Amino acid sequence: MATEQLPLPVAPRAPTGGAPARRLPERIFPMLPTEVASPFDDPDYLFEAWWPGARAIASCEGGVLRLQVAGLADAGAAFPELATLPAQLAEDGTMLDGTLLILDPDGRPDADLLRQRLAGAGRPGRPAYVASDLLWAGGQSVRLNAFRVRRAWLEAILEPGDRATVGRGYRGDGTLLAEALASMGVDGLSARHLGARYRSGPAGDAWLRAPIVPAEPRPRPTLALILRLPLGE
Amino acid sequence: MARSMWRGAIQFGLVTIPVKLYLATESTSIGFNMLHADCLNRIQMKIYCPHHDEVVPRSDTVRGYEWSKGRYVVMTDAEMDAVPLKTVRAIEIEMFVDAKREAHEAQFVKQAYYLEPDPMGAKAFELLRQVLAEQGKTAICKIVLKDREQLAALNPYDNTMLLTTLHWPDEVRSHTELNLPTAEITVKPAERAMAEQLIASMTGEFSPADYRDDYRAALMSVIEAKVGGEEPVPAQRVEPTRIGDLMAALEASVAAAREARRSAAEPAADAATPTSETADADQRPARRRRSA
Repeated sequence: MATEQLPLPVAPRAPTGGAPARRLPERIFPMLPTEVASPFDDPDYLFEAWWPGARAIASCEGGVLRLQVAGLADAGAAFPELATLPAQLAEDGTMLDGTLLILDPDGRPDADLLRQRLAGAGRPGRPAYVASDLLWAGGQSVRLNAFRVRRAWLEAILEPGDRATVGRGYRGDGTLLAEALASMGVDGLSARHLGARYRSGPAGDAWLRAPIVPAEPRPRPTLALILRLPLGE
Repeated sequence: MARSMWRGAIQFGLVTIPVKLYLATESTSIGFNMLHADCLNRIQMKIYCPHHDEVVPRSDTVRGYEWSKGRYVVMTDAEMDAVPLKTVRAIEIEMFVDAKREAHEAQFVKQAYYLEPDPMGAKAFELLRQVLAEQGKTAICKIVLKDREQLAALNPYDNTMLLTTLHWPDEVRSHTELNLPTAEITVKPAERAMAEQLIASMTGEFSPADYRDDYRAALMSVIEAKVGGEEPVPAQRVEPTRIGDLMAALEASVAAAREARRSAAEPAADAATPTSETADADQRPARRRRSA
């Protein structure tokens, strides 16, 4: 099937053997997705859920996590629970591109709880980080490598944990994933081109976002229901 | 098993089967005693007469029926015993009904009793039990228990029979005054299909052993902790959810979507099973990106 998880093209290893490690930049100008009309199928793309969360660049240097979230001076202070993220990384000097979520007690991402966090109104829910892309590893920028390679390194470097993990990617089958996400009440699909390098600013074809129209208006389906309900054709 | 609480005979036609009744259920709820908060001594309930302003011994009480406001007629024990009832000391079978059809009318049940035949009635007992089971019948009968004639249903149950006392029809309240949905409410076929799917997915064999009275267990643990002089442990906090659970839910959802596609495609394209990525992709909707 075309939807299998992306296989590792290289053996897990330090992506930048030998070269002297450099300091990570304080902030970067992240890649910005291009909106497309609808989900599609294409074997050159890796499709992921567009979870209802906040875009976050996670930098781990000297075992310390720094989060870059648009419009937030010190995001790390709002998410102290994620301070253990560096311990899940096999490489220091690493920068990840991903999504910051707040999970409700049922384990569903809750955008309202996230807004409360970002607004500094307490610390409800449980934060989680879903990594999608690797920008730096071992103190070296890997942004010029193809996404196929960056992604494989990301999966080799980031050990899945309770709070942070690499998102599930499905190659080729965007419409299938969109159907599954529609049943979960997720309204967006991410598509990253496997051959593209990481660009700052508008991504062009390298990264696309497609809206998902829910099959039926179901305000907050429970996970139990999601697992049981048939998926509308 | 505990002592039988009733001894009599099943009677129908000319047949008499001597049996004993045993309570089939017991209350496992935790009983409390009322104590004086000051000294923790057990409170005694005294029967008190406001007219004489004195405590009355139980032997000095009689049964009174209030037939009009404040006016009573006294019924003595002798008069109670003399009430002409055919069903005294008997389980009198009135009729047999189909077990299924009877079920609707027998939903207002009170108490279940096991039956045990006396040795001399064992054969007739077993015969009745077998025929009821084979024919799928329930016997509707009357029995006097605790001074009251009761309506009851008699059903085969494993290798004995179960007598279930029922409420009389005039004890069952009407439900017509409730605010209930009417036939005017229309349901979309999709909504009905979803409900049917949900029910089908949760349909299984009822196994009562899987269910427990959690409240009782929690209350008992608090009591036991206090007996042991410990502070009760607060209820276990819900295990924090993990991001891996969300990923697992996504994978299950994708698997379900794939399964739905497969079953939808099967009738049409059974022969052409795509094997390679490209063949797979060719069957899918055309690439539609960059159309925003």
